[in-house]
Amino acid sequence: MSQLNGSRKRKLVTRALPDVRDDSDELGDALLGGILSQSDDGEEFDDSDDEEEDGEEEDEGSEDEMDGEEELESDEIPSEYGEEDIREQIRNLKTADVESPKGANGRLVKVNGAELPQAATGALGETNTQDDIEDLKPNYTVTTDANGNPRYLYQEIEPGYESDDSDAPATVNTIGEIPLSFYDSYPHIGYDINGKKIMRPAKGEALDALLDSIEVPQGWTGLTDPATGKPLELSREELEVLKKLTRNEVPEEGYDPYPDMVEYFTSKTEIMPLSAAPEPKRRFVPSKHEAKRVMKIVKAIKEGRIKPYRPPEETEDEDPKVKRYDLWADEAPRPDHVMHVPAPKLPPPVHDESYHPPPEYLPDKAERAAWENTDEEDRDREYLSRDHDALRKVPGYDKFVKEKFERCLDLYLAPRVRRSKLNIDPESLLPKLPSPDELRPFPTACSVVFRGHEGRVRSLAIDPSGEYLATGGDDGTVRLWQLRTGRQNWSVKFSGDEAVNVVRWRPGTEAFILAAASGENIFLVSPPIAGKPDVERSSRDVLDAGWGYAATNGASATNGPAKKEAAAKWTRPGPQLEEKGVLVKITVRSTVKVINWHRRGEYFSTVSPQGQSSAIAIHTLSKHLTQLPFRRLKGLAQSAQFHPSKPIFFVATQRTIRSYDLARRELLKILQPGAKWISSFDIHPGGDNLIVGSYDRRLLWHDLDLSTRPYKTLRYHKKAIRAVRFHQGGLPLFADASDDGSLQIFHGKVVGDLMENATIVPLKVLRGHQVRKELGVLDVDWHPKQPWCVSAGADGTCRLWQ
Amino acid sequence: MARIKKKGQAGQAKNFITRTQAVRKLQISLPDFRRLCIFKGIYPREPRNKKKAAKGSTPSTTFYYTRDIQYLLHEPLLRKFREHKALGKKISKALGRGEVKDAARLEKTQTPRMTLDHIIKERYPTFVDALRDLDDALSMLFLFANLPSTATVPPKTIALCQRLCLEFEHYLITTHALRKSFLSIKGIYYQATIQGQDILWLVPYKFVQRVTGDVDFRIMGTFVEFYTTLLGFVNFRLYNSIGLLYPPKFDAESDERGGELSAFTLEGRGLEEPQKAIEDVPMTNGTAEAPATSTTAQDLADKLATLPQPEDAEAAEAADPPAITPTPADDLTTEAIDTFEPTADDADILPQPLFNSSAEAASLFANTTVWLSRETPRQPLEFLLKAFGCKRVAWDPVLGDGSYTADESDPSITHQIVDRPPLSQSGVPAAAAQPEATEAEVADAPKSRTLPPGHRVPGRVYVQPQWVWDCVNQGRLLRPDLYAPGATLPPHLSPWVKAGKGVYDPAKPLEEQEEEDEAEAAAEDEDEVEGADEGAVDNEGEESEEEEAAPRRRTENPLLDRPEEVEAGEGMDVAAAETSDEEDEDEEEEEWGGLDDEPAAEDLDEAEAERLRHQRELEAEAAGVPLAAIANSSAPKSKAAEARQKADRRRKEQDEELERGMMMMSRKKRKLFEKMRYGNEKKEDEAKRLRAKRRKLEKGKGGGVA
Repeated sequence: MSQLNGSRKRKLVTRALPDVRDDSDELGDALLGGILSQSDDGEEFDDSDDEEEDGEEEDEGSEDEMDGEEELESDEIPSEYGEEDIREQIRNLKTADVESPKGANGRLVKVNGAELPQAATGALGETNTQDDIEDLKPNYTVTTDANGNPRYLYQEIEPGYESDDSDAPATVNTIGEIPLSFYDSYPHIGYDINGKKIMRPAKGEALDALLDSIEVPQGWTGLTDPATGKPLELSREELEVLKKLTRNEVPEEGYDPYPDMVEYFTSKTEIMPLSAAPEPKRRFVPSKHEAKRVMKIVKAIKEGRIKPYRPPEETEDEDPKVKRYDLWADEAPRPDHVMHVPAPKLPPPVHDESYHPPPEYLPDKAERAAWENTDEEDRDREYLSRDHDALRKVPGYDKFVKEKFERCLDLYLAPRVRRSKLNIDPESLLPKLPSPDELRPFPTACSVVFRGHEGRVRSLAIDPSGEYLATGGDDGTVRLWQLRTGRQNWSVKFSGDEAVNVVRWRPGTEAFILAAASGENIFLVSPPIAGKPDVERSSRDVLDAGWGYAATNGASATNGPAKKEAAAKWTRPGPQLEEKGVLVKITVRSTVKVINWHRRGEYFSTVSPQGQSSAIAIHTLSKHLTQLPFRRLKGLAQSAQFHPSKPIFFVATQRTIRSYDLARRELLKILQPGAKWISSFDIHPGGDNLIVGSYDRRLLWHDLDLSTRPYKTLRYHKKAIRAVRFHQGGLPLFADASDDGSLQIFHGKVVGDLMENATIVPLKVLRGHQVRKELGVLDVDWHPKQPWCVSAGADGTCRLWQ
Repeated sequence: MARIKKKGQAGQAKNFITRTQAVRKLQISLPDFRRLCIFKGIYPREPRNKKKAAKGSTPSTTFYYTRDIQYLLHEPLLRKFREHKALGKKISKALGRGEVKDAARLEKTQTPRMTLDHIIKERYPTFVDALRDLDDALSMLFLFANLPSTATVPPKTIALCQRLCLEFEHYLITTHALRKSFLSIKGIYYQATIQGQDILWLVPYKFVQRVTGDVDFRIMGTFVEFYTTLLGFVNFRLYNSIGLLYPPKFDAESDERGGELSAFTLEGRGLEEPQKAIEDVPMTNGTAEAPATSTTAQDLADKLATLPQPEDAEAAEAADPPAITPTPADDLTTEAIDTFEPTADDADILPQPLFNSSAEAASLFANTTVWLSRETPRQPLEFLLKAFGCKRVAWDPVLGDGSYTADESDPSITHQIVDRPPLSQSGVPAAAAQPEATEAEVADAPKSRTLPPGHRVPGRVYVQPQWVWDCVNQGRLLRPDLYAPGATLPPHLSPWVKAGKGVYDPAKPLEEQEEEDEAEAAAEDEDEVEGADEGAVDNEGEESEEEEAAPRRRTENPLLDRPEEVEAGEGMDVAAAETSDEEDEDEEEEEWGGLDDEPAAEDLDEAEAERLRHQRELEAEAAGVPLAAIANSSAPKSKAAEARQKADRRRKEQDEELERGMMMMSRKKRKLFEKMRYGNEKKEDEAKRLRAKRRKLEKGKGGGVA
């Protein structure tokens, strides 16, 4: 029994220390002991001494326990579980002892040796069994390393039974959480902790498998342990545990989940107090400290340092009812909800509500009686008309408050239903006019008068920058004026006898070129302007570019079909005029009345009504080339103009206006304004609308999308209309000039929406020009940006209207 | 197979909710629910099928739209209501304990403050929306501004209403946005146009309002609370839009003395300084140094009067600073739009916006200085005159503060508005009145001078108040002699009644409006009933007596149709002569009308006449009366009778035609048509009735004259 005891003791001790370390300690101490310094050793001794003592104490304790157990055992108390367990253990021990009693002994020594190296070695020396000798055979070989020093190469330690490592799992596959199928093509199935291959266990033959299936071994589950690859076998206890787990029971046997409560403090009051001390005074005397603090607060409240209630927030001394911000500062319209029915407005009063109505509205006796006899709710009027011959006799209306109250009730209590009204008020179908404020700005008064021309001023134009005004008149001069001041800057006289019929600026601000027609000659002028030499140079360049073209290509052009007679001659006007800035002179076959530029300033068209086949000419500026697009024209050409955005060309004859597609060379549309003799026309900057002025006093608005007939015919002038003009700078304005000496300004708004027609509102009659020899205002033009217009009068003046 | 639809899960049953359900859902009391509905503008709906909406039950209930109530659930005001309720409980608890002080403190400090600002923004997302809904608000606030304070209407509310209303009036005066006004038996209607929105409201006459027991002031108070918030914001925006500071400076002292409009001083925000100066001129009252004021003010007034249009001149200058050479013709040009007259027939006539420009409104009374007599209603007159350009309105100091001058004999006064019967010179104790007046003069000599009641200042135009209203509605100054004190006024007509087809227009002569044969038929009717009427002569006599008491001359026709303006100072004699001339013309016209009708009457249907005669003969035979007698008696009638018959026949034919047409219509269309016809007929009947009455009146008058 003592031996048993000893072994048990050993076991207990060894358990405290891991074996591997034991081994290494053993070896390390054995070999490195000499290397360690003495003093260190000494210290270690002390330490280990202490440890030993501890261990001994433990040993003793455990021995006591064991003793107790043994006693229990010897007493043969029938506790089967404990007995069996113990017996099992004992059996195990015995077998171990039987197998290597000495080894076990040696182990103990070794263990002790680990703690007391010297003693252990001594002990080792004393207990020299055969096994130990085998063990002591050096498990290393000595070689020399690279430095020539001896190097110990240790053999693999085989953890056998003697290693005492019964708890360690035999082999653990260390491949981790990967499927075992990765190793299917290898003979091994993974590596153990030491890096050794774990070989695939031999698979039984088919017959073996069959046999296995026939006689089911105990604990056979039919599963394979993925870690080892062996068939998984479970013992009965393990199965039991699993079963309990699946049933949500505590797997441990004999565990009581609901133990009786142990009362730490008893619920029973003890009769005898634990302490006999009397109740302390502080339990029943108010705290002085607290009283002091309360007094402090009271004092503070009295002094007003602390307020007992939160005072109302300091309201701004302003009246909250006065609104001080704009609620609609960021207003955004929101469409009404479909189901929303706004409250109907009260109808306006009618005549019989008057304090002094016409006598026929006063009720006669029968009506009065009928009204009085009907129930108050059934009356169609809530009042009876009464007549008062003076305002002072009108009494207060006694049902005023009641009526307002009823209106309130209607507003929040009456269900609202939308009813379609049967009788549509025809006036609601009338177009809604824009308010006068919306129509502004438009020219209202004459601000500048330009005097200087002798005889009529035939034509005028404001340059694209809006600073200068060019005019041409019967005296054969073209004059340039400063628009804002009316000062004449420059003038040139082309010839003595022929009037300047038309002046037109080339569009675009990069060059400053004026086209003027006097008789059969068209002059392209670059008037000198102060302070802008680069503009002047560029305009000269533009005009001179064609000379070179004409020189190089002239020969080839002549042998073409244009052999018979050139449409026009492009020449230099001569040194005097060139000095003045007149750079090009074009001579056509007959008198030119109208010039209109293409929007890009590369082409311009001229119209000479008497010119038969050469009535309309298109001139190309960069090539100094003139083309006659129409071989024959029906009727006398009156005017021609380019479409503001598309390659379309409009030609007005006496009765009709035709539009031609320049790219495809075909007729697009024939407009029939219904006028007897068209004087001029202009195209809306949008390109879809057109105004036409005629000598028979009509001003006609054409919507090109709508019809070939005019959309509106306006006859507000008493005499012929000479010129019509749209504002080109984005304002919805147009003007016409008439022989009755007045200009009329209209608001003509075109909406992009095809469904909506243009809105035309007459705005202003501008009078100021005097009528001379039946002629009033001959031409009109708009400022390119501002709502200003200029007019040329037969009285020799031009006027700027602002 | 589709899923079977459960009843009451979708459609109307789901879209509508009864009031009880709504109140339960919101967990508030019914009065709170009512308030919330008023604030949020939520109103009951009429479901298309009530039974479906009520899930089968039929008793009548009010329904609300479920989405509306759903949307009320998120209302911040609900929390305030609940807080209020909690506070009420706390206070009642404190009062029950007798802790009055605590209760007072709770009430003072913890009353939740409600603002309706967010609701205004929500209900009126844009300013124009708010303007559109201003009619009711203004009527209500003007009523409350005139109510006496009671327990249910606290004086604070009344003061607030007064302030807001006066501020709004000031805006209208400054911008001249007022368009029309009308004196009705209920009160005074005004119409203003702001940003294209027509706003019509009614102001009661200054009398104590009769309040009956069935008026719940709590409901009205809720409305007033909402409307005051709305008008406050609207005023702020309006003032800012014309560059004025809001709120305008309020002089409590002046208000105490009855200043009303003049208690406010408008201030510009820097830019509008000159305008402010102009506005302020009439606001100063001459209490401090009256004799001096009268001269200086007169000078100033003259200067202002001679200035063409300060704003226009400024604008012109601003627009064009460099050298302008205005020709004499240019002086006449204005910013206004010219009227265009087509010169030939076949032209299109383009519509032009007409009398809408505030410039015209601003110039109506611009050259007048008006004195309001003691008996005239000062507030509406002052407002109206100032809104239409009169810069100098003065009144008796009895009427309150803020008069342009306190001196009734001020020579600058051009018009005096009087509303008292003219006393016959014998009735006035001239000797007694004169010294009295002088005594009064001595007593407060420089301050104010009132003339004796019958006294007339030469060169001044005396008119009754209706003149102002009629001038405003017609857009020009009318002849003052028609409105002279004591004169029988022309009828006052509503400016909102539009003349249309089938609508009776009292301003036009009767003949123009009558249907053909109507007059003859009426004459015939009268002849027939004459015999029967003889018994009821007494009745007629009474009526005619009534009419005698208020004799009426139909003189407004020349007045209304006169295109040229009558100058304010024009002599009355001339005007009277003119009217008489025009009356003659009218008579001539009437004669012509008679001639025109004769050939029509002659055009008889012979066969019909023959048949009738035969019938009469038979009747006579039966009665045993000689035929000649009957023939004689019926002879004068026959013409008119036949005219009537002819008209009858024509009418019958028309009816038949219509009948046939209706047979072809579908039932739905026929119903629609009937409805339309019903409405039209009602209108026509009304017009007919009025015409008949007028005819009778005119006849009676003619008979009286003859």
